[in-house]
Amino acid sequence: MKRRWVFVVGLFGLLMSAIPSAAADGDRLHLFNWNDYIAQETVTTFEQQCHCKVVQDYYSSTEEMMAKLLAGASGYDVVVPTQNALQALIKQNFLHPLEKNLLPNFKNSDPGFLNRSYDPENAYSVPYAFTTTLIGYNEQRLAKLGITARNWSLIFDPRVLSKLRGKVTVLDDAEEVFSAALKYLGYSINDRDEKHLREAQQVILTAKPYWAAFNSSSYIKELAVGNIWVAHGYSSDMLQAQADAKAAARDFKVNFVLPTQGAVLALDNMVIPKSAKNKALAHRFINFMLESKNAATLTNKIGAGNPNRAAAEFIDAKIRKQNAIFPDAATLTKLETLEASNAKQRRLLNTLWTEIKIK
Amino acid sequence: MKPNTARNVGSGDRWKRLLALPPMGYLLIFFAIPTLIMLFASFRYAGEYGGLAPWYGNEDGSLSINLTLENWQRLFETDLYLRLFLKSIMYALLATLLCILLGYPLALMIARSPKKHRDLLLLLVILPFWSNFLVRIYAWMIIFSPSGALTRMMNVLLATVGLAPVSLMYSSTAVIVCLVYVHLPFMVLPLYANLEKHNPALLAAAQDLGANRWRRFWDITWPLSLPGVYAGAILVFIPVLGTFAIPDLLGGTDGIMIANVIKQQFVESRDWPFGSVLSMALTAAAVLVVLLSAKMGTRRGTLR
Repeated sequence: MKRRWVFVVGLFGLLMSAIPSAAADGDRLHLFNWNDYIAQETVTTFEQQCHCKVVQDYYSSTEEMMAKLLAGASGYDVVVPTQNALQALIKQNFLHPLEKNLLPNFKNSDPGFLNRSYDPENAYSVPYAFTTTLIGYNEQRLAKLGITARNWSLIFDPRVLSKLRGKVTVLDDAEEVFSAALKYLGYSINDRDEKHLREAQQVILTAKPYWAAFNSSSYIKELAVGNIWVAHGYSSDMLQAQADAKAAARDFKVNFVLPTQGAVLALDNMVIPKSAKNKALAHRFINFMLESKNAATLTNKIGAGNPNRAAAEFIDAKIRKQNAIFPDAATLTKLETLEASNAKQRRLLNTLWTEIKIK
Repeated sequence: MKPNTARNVGSGDRWKRLLALPPMGYLLIFFAIPTLIMLFASFRYAGEYGGLAPWYGNEDGSLSINLTLENWQRLFETDLYLRLFLKSIMYALLATLLCILLGYPLALMIARSPKKHRDLLLLLVILPFWSNFLVRIYAWMIIFSPSGALTRMMNVLLATVGLAPVSLMYSSTAVIVCLVYVHLPFMVLPLYANLEKHNPALLAAAQDLGANRWRRFWDITWPLSLPGVYAGAILVFIPVLGTFAIPDLLGGTDGIMIANVIKQQFVESRDWPFGSVLSMALTAAAVLVVLLSAKMGTRRGTLR
């Protein structure tokens, strides 16, 4: 009797282990990407070309992505981390080195975005797209209030804010808000000196009573509807808010500006985890995304900045001339990328952030 | 004959025990063991890039243990977290109280309505569950929005009496309203289940003895319904204490509750040990409050 049970259980186990290999993953690409960061038509074109299926999983913050990967999520063939997450993934030996001979389109990448300190020679990553963190605003409202500042004082200077009480939101993200405050004070966004961070905390605490909320999720809508007049957020989102306000024929215009003091540049990169099941298909996908037209679609449809030089000619002229989305060389020098922080630094920042939130 | 019956009883017991195995196993695997893992994690170091650092090292042949009390020390170092806990408990108590105030008359009304209507009325209470929780919160964001009809109407009314306009969105009022809205059915259902079982003859007898409406309620219905009130209060209080989505979406710049900070540890800060400390403390706080209220409940029950 007992032996028969063992047999049945064993058979069941065998069947279970046979299922994944029977539905071989040869025809599936598992993509772990930001929300809304690839155009549907691009996915469809790739599926037709490779006779495969693209299975997408999304995240809405670097932290969410890292938390999931570090908790042991595996089976993703391509992931699109921002540079600070990439730095951590490389140091943890999480990534598969890219085989450049499989990526002939790599030559399309803008050298200005290559060979960064965290990944010399781009051994593990190729740039996908970038966003900047900046300020979106309601043009008519600011004009009516006589506010001419177009820099971080829009969200930090009490003299400006006193006219905007309850009409400003900032990102619900400690690193982003501290980066903005550090820039406002003239420090680097990667400054982790406790004294400087405390100064930045003071700047944030002074401004906080004037803010409506910390908002990372719905500021596109609030700005486009006119409930909020100034919002701290990502360039691609601001472009979206601008388009939404225009489409709804509002009696105001949403605009955005890269603060003159400098801002955060987030460079997203395509990588292949070591645990990827289908590395050949992953390379094929990366090469496909580096093709000039596909890269251009990413900008035209999603509004992301583009590190692909060859894509330039296919990008809408209107988007191309926006300095906040395609920063010129002079502006680019004022933009900084966030570096990975260690456990102690994260803990300090979190304590300062919680203190801000409860006051 | 006799041995046979004895055997039957024995096998019945065995079946009962077997039936209890799956739920017990479920609780063990998905509740008890994870709680212990979390308790252990609260004494470990955070990994450099997230996760946990290894808790034992084996450098140059000698075993070293890497455990620490510093995560727990951080909890008590400042009054920051204590204040957060108190604030969250106050929010949860307020939401529970409002749920009782709103839910009791509703449950009573349903329990006293004609039998044929009761099922329909109960269905209406459960109806909101048919749409997703987040969708309902987003609906509230539209209702509360400054350009929404509710806010505009309220501000017109306020203006006529000469008061300054107010904003509902991003306020603790919005958070409390939503907490009550989401958790109200959890109060109504156990209360209804209790109230429905009351024997109407008791009320009729009290009326015959000259008790007025108020006394009949206060001396008969209310004490009999207390188990329902406690069940509902616990079902509301505990989930409210662990809410983070509502303060995230509707709260203002000071809207956070303790669960938001726990979420921050696991997601943004990738500080699992401190997240575990806060989770353990939250569980302890919830158990403590429930035990206290249960104790108060039995004491009041015996007094009556």
